[in-house]
Amino acid sequence: MRDHIVLYSVLRKYFIETRRYILNMTMSIAGFLMLFLIVFFGLQSFGAEAETLKGSLVGFAMWIFAASAYSELSWNLIEEARNGTLEQLYLTPSSFRRISGYLVTSSFLFQFIMFAVFLGAMLLITGQRLALNPGVIVLIGLTLLSVYGLGYIMGGLSLVFKKVQAGNQILQFMFILFLVLPSFTDHPIIYFAPISWGNVLINRMMVGGVSLLDISMSNFLILAVNSLIYLLIGLAVFTYLEKVAKKRGLLGHY
Amino acid sequence: MVSTALEVNSLRKTYPLWRQEDVIALQDVSFSVKEGEVVGLLGPNGAGKTTAIKCICGLITPDTGSITFFEQNSNNPAEHVSAVLEGNRNIYWRLTARENLEFFAGLQGRSGVDPEIRSILERFSLNKKENTPARKLSRGMQQKLALGCSLIRGTDLLLLDEPTLGLDVKTSRDLRRYILKLASKEGKTILLSSHDMNVVEDVCERVIIINNGEVMADDKVDNLKDLFNIHIYKFTLKGRYKLDDIEENFDISESKYINGKTRFKVALKSSDSFYRLIDELQKSEIRLEKVQNLDSHLEEIFMNIIENDGGSVT
Repeated sequence: MRDHIVLYSVLRKYFIETRRYILNMTMSIAGFLMLFLIVFFGLQSFGAEAETLKGSLVGFAMWIFAASAYSELSWNLIEEARNGTLEQLYLTPSSFRRISGYLVTSSFLFQFIMFAVFLGAMLLITGQRLALNPGVIVLIGLTLLSVYGLGYIMGGLSLVFKKVQAGNQILQFMFILFLVLPSFTDHPIIYFAPISWGNVLINRMMVGGVSLLDISMSNFLILAVNSLIYLLIGLAVFTYLEKVAKKRGLLGHY
Repeated sequence: MVSTALEVNSLRKTYPLWRQEDVIALQDVSFSVKEGEVVGLLGPNGAGKTTAIKCICGLITPDTGSITFFEQNSNNPAEHVSAVLEGNRNIYWRLTARENLEFFAGLQGRSGVDPEIRSILERFSLNKKENTPARKLSRGMQQKLALGCSLIRGTDLLLLDEPTLGLDVKTSRDLRRYILKLASKEGKTILLSSHDMNVVEDVCERVIIINNGEVMADDKVDNLKDLFNIHIYKFTLKGRYKLDDIEENFDISESKYINGKTRFKVALKSSDSFYRLIDELQKSEIRLEKVQNLDSHLEEIFMNIIENDGGSVT
């Protein structure tokens, strides 16, 4: 099986479809930007310190990134089931999990571009400066693995239960809690919650100006283990729910 | 030597329902399809046709039973099978016709298929619409594109679930012609399910009739016609008659009164029943003008098998 051809096809389709809905994407970026500016200037008017303002900037951009990345998988499954193409994706020699892995890759690349554009626009408007070290991409990638794990769980649930949008929204707002958690507590929960510890390390690089090599191996390992556990649990739950959906004949239904 | 393209053995599938009795979708379904054959899967709504097709595709897990492709056990049906399920709901609406074909070829790991794509676009008269998004194509074109997308996957076995559903007469006829060509010229093996008897009768050499999850008949269309020996007669009567009494005992259809004559069709299984009908008409003092013997159709055979759901014919 020539996997690179399958990956290229999934990537190409993703970008073609996104390009066709460029106006929708631009409007959603503009909407998030307006929401951010309200938060940012609100904080500024309350006399927040420069570091808090920069932290809010990174945190907000990470929230957008995480929320979009997370909803991508389950939303895509719902869309594919509704349009009747999900069964066609299952009818490919590559396993569906592999196809969904390629979809996640496409989504990460696209969301990263969106994240960069969004962050650039925020910096430009607010006049703030952040340390833009390329090493941060590694941390963002690792942090998002936990998000994709949760996405797989919700995707699996959508295969069986179909309407899971309400759960999606709840989790998207939970991400805000996970992201701000380290600002209020240094309780070990921040090592176990998804994206919390990742956000701490990303802040150290982008706000504190440290490089990737300055981050201790133990801190890096905590992030890697946390993210991998979420991803593996997500894949296991998805595999189980996929079996349930196939047993109950629910794959093509919406 | 012709080998078996698909072998389905003792397939059973039940759907558990919450606090209700399980629904048995398939019970001990077995059949095979030879390489290059076009076989029709017929059955009323809820008979188990789609469940059978989806089990073959690996989209539904059967409770028991086995499926082999080209005489090999395979746990990856997608290597052998491509399917058009539910007509036009198999393509990406935002992608153009060409992009859809390219995507599905890519999913199969196929590259360098441009000549093949061009040939499919031409064959299905989609070449002028190759850059049109699928959502803007007519339903017939979308269904042709869905069929094209399953062809570009390059598998030898095609499963078509209701391929002509919702199509107008001309497009349905065009599609039937393509399906026939696929088998005769390209050697594809096709299992086709349809409600439309005309489609099955036109395209398939053999038909498998499923009802209540069981195979009721599995034979060549001509053999089934002989076996059931059903004859359709068209009766023309002088004058206007109410046929209520006769309808109680005979399978009468298309009864109408035109230009002073009553006409109806009747399906009769034996010469005895033919004479019984003539007797009844005479007893009722009905004046018979003409009787024509029409060809029997698959539809009558199908109805006979479904209505006498007692034993199977294989």
